[in-house]
Amino acid sequence: MIKVALDIGTLETEMNRGFLHLLVLAILENEMYGYAMVKHIESLGYKVEENTLYPLLRRLEKNGWITSRWDLSEDRPRKFYAITTEGRAIRASLFGIWEIQNSILDKVTKENLHA
Amino acid sequence: MPNKLDVYLEEISHYLSGRTEREEILNEIRSHILEKAASEYGGTGDEAIDQAVLAFGPARRLAERYAEERPIIAPGYKRYLFRYTTLLFAIHLALTILGVIFKESFIVFPFLFIPRLSPLGAVMYLPMAFLADLGLVALVLYLITQSGKEVKLPWPRIGLDLDEVNPPRKPFWSLFGTAVGAIIMLAITSFSLYLFARHQTIFLYLTDGKEPRPLLTPEAGRYLSLIIIVQFAVSTLTLFVKLFTRSRWVDIISNAISLGLIGLILRQPLDNLFAINMSEKLLSWIKPTILITLIIIALIITYELIRDIIRISRRQRAL
Repeated sequence: MIKVALDIGTLETEMNRGFLHLLVLAILENEMYGYAMVKHIESLGYKVEENTLYPLLRRLEKNGWITSRWDLSEDRPRKFYAITTEGRAIRASLFGIWEIQNSILDKVTKENLHA
Repeated sequence: MPNKLDVYLEEISHYLSGRTEREEILNEIRSHILEKAASEYGGTGDEAIDQAVLAFGPARRLAERYAEERPIIAPGYKRYLFRYTTLLFAIHLALTILGVIFKESFIVFPFLFIPRLSPLGAVMYLPMAFLADLGLVALVLYLITQSGKEVKLPWPRIGLDLDEVNPPRKPFWSLFGTAVGAIIMLAITSFSLYLFARHQTIFLYLTDGKEPRPLLTPEAGRYLSLIIIVQFAVSTLTLFVKLFTRSRWVDIISNAISLGLIGLILRQPLDNLFAINMSEKLLSWIKPTILITLIIIALIITYELIRDIIRISRRQRAL
């Protein structure tokens, strides 16, 4: 039982990796700072660990898919992130892939039901 | 006294050392923790910050996530780590054995130094040598990985792949070549025996068409001639046996004998070796040349010996 839970955990991490890329690129259509992103994702019914989100944001920025700026106008400095044109193109491609994968899984599930 | 946030950021900074964007990352994390402490734990006091830090997770795990896209050694190069270390250590081992036998130290510039060792000293030295070899190969692979360039490394085939375990079936032309080689070696061995029976040495030179004269002093000539004749005989016998069997043991036994014979040759002092007058300058050139040549031959034989032993051990495990 413990092994099954561990296996699921590992697979979930693998699946989340791609999903989180897509989710962050989708959310950042509107400029947002890190903490607000965590809260927003939580409000959508998904939980992202902070120590996963920030390294991901850095990788996305390094690839040129998002951009960032520091806002020092408030009491606390906040770093805001937003998607770039290149990021939008990547996001569109990822959505395309996800739709294809989803439709394949749908077909297989239906095949299994009729088998 | 630094608060928990400073300690936490300091720890992350330690794990991120070497990254150009370290300060930026630390500022991001500081901003997030302060925001979280204020929003969820009622302010930016020590207790609230402690809780926000705790929620962020261990510093090492966080730093590892930043490093995920940049492994120490790229997965594609990992297979080279043990292959290259094995090769380097084989050279190290062979030189160490030679060093113990001949009570010499060796330096292979720039990284291999084998001091003059006793057998016990060698036993203590070899584990350290292995670790040094492993470290050196890891360092090279690390530098290649960090350079981010696509470097195609050679893949030396030393028989560790399972598909190479079984000796290949010899085609007709290969067998024919072995037979011709055996006959040639038989002729060479016979001629050497004839020379030895007649002149007590096989190291001769001709002057003005007269009777051949010995190149080496009588004692050295006899000693070295016998070793060379035995080597010729072993090679001849090996080639004949290989006509009938594909067993790698033939090569292993042959190479082990050859290595022993080279060891006997190296025991012969090179001073007062030649029976003819030679200038000091020429002698000072010939002696190291002979020594280096013999060591290179010994290394090649050692390499083949280790390769065949590994192949056989892999075969035993594969069966």
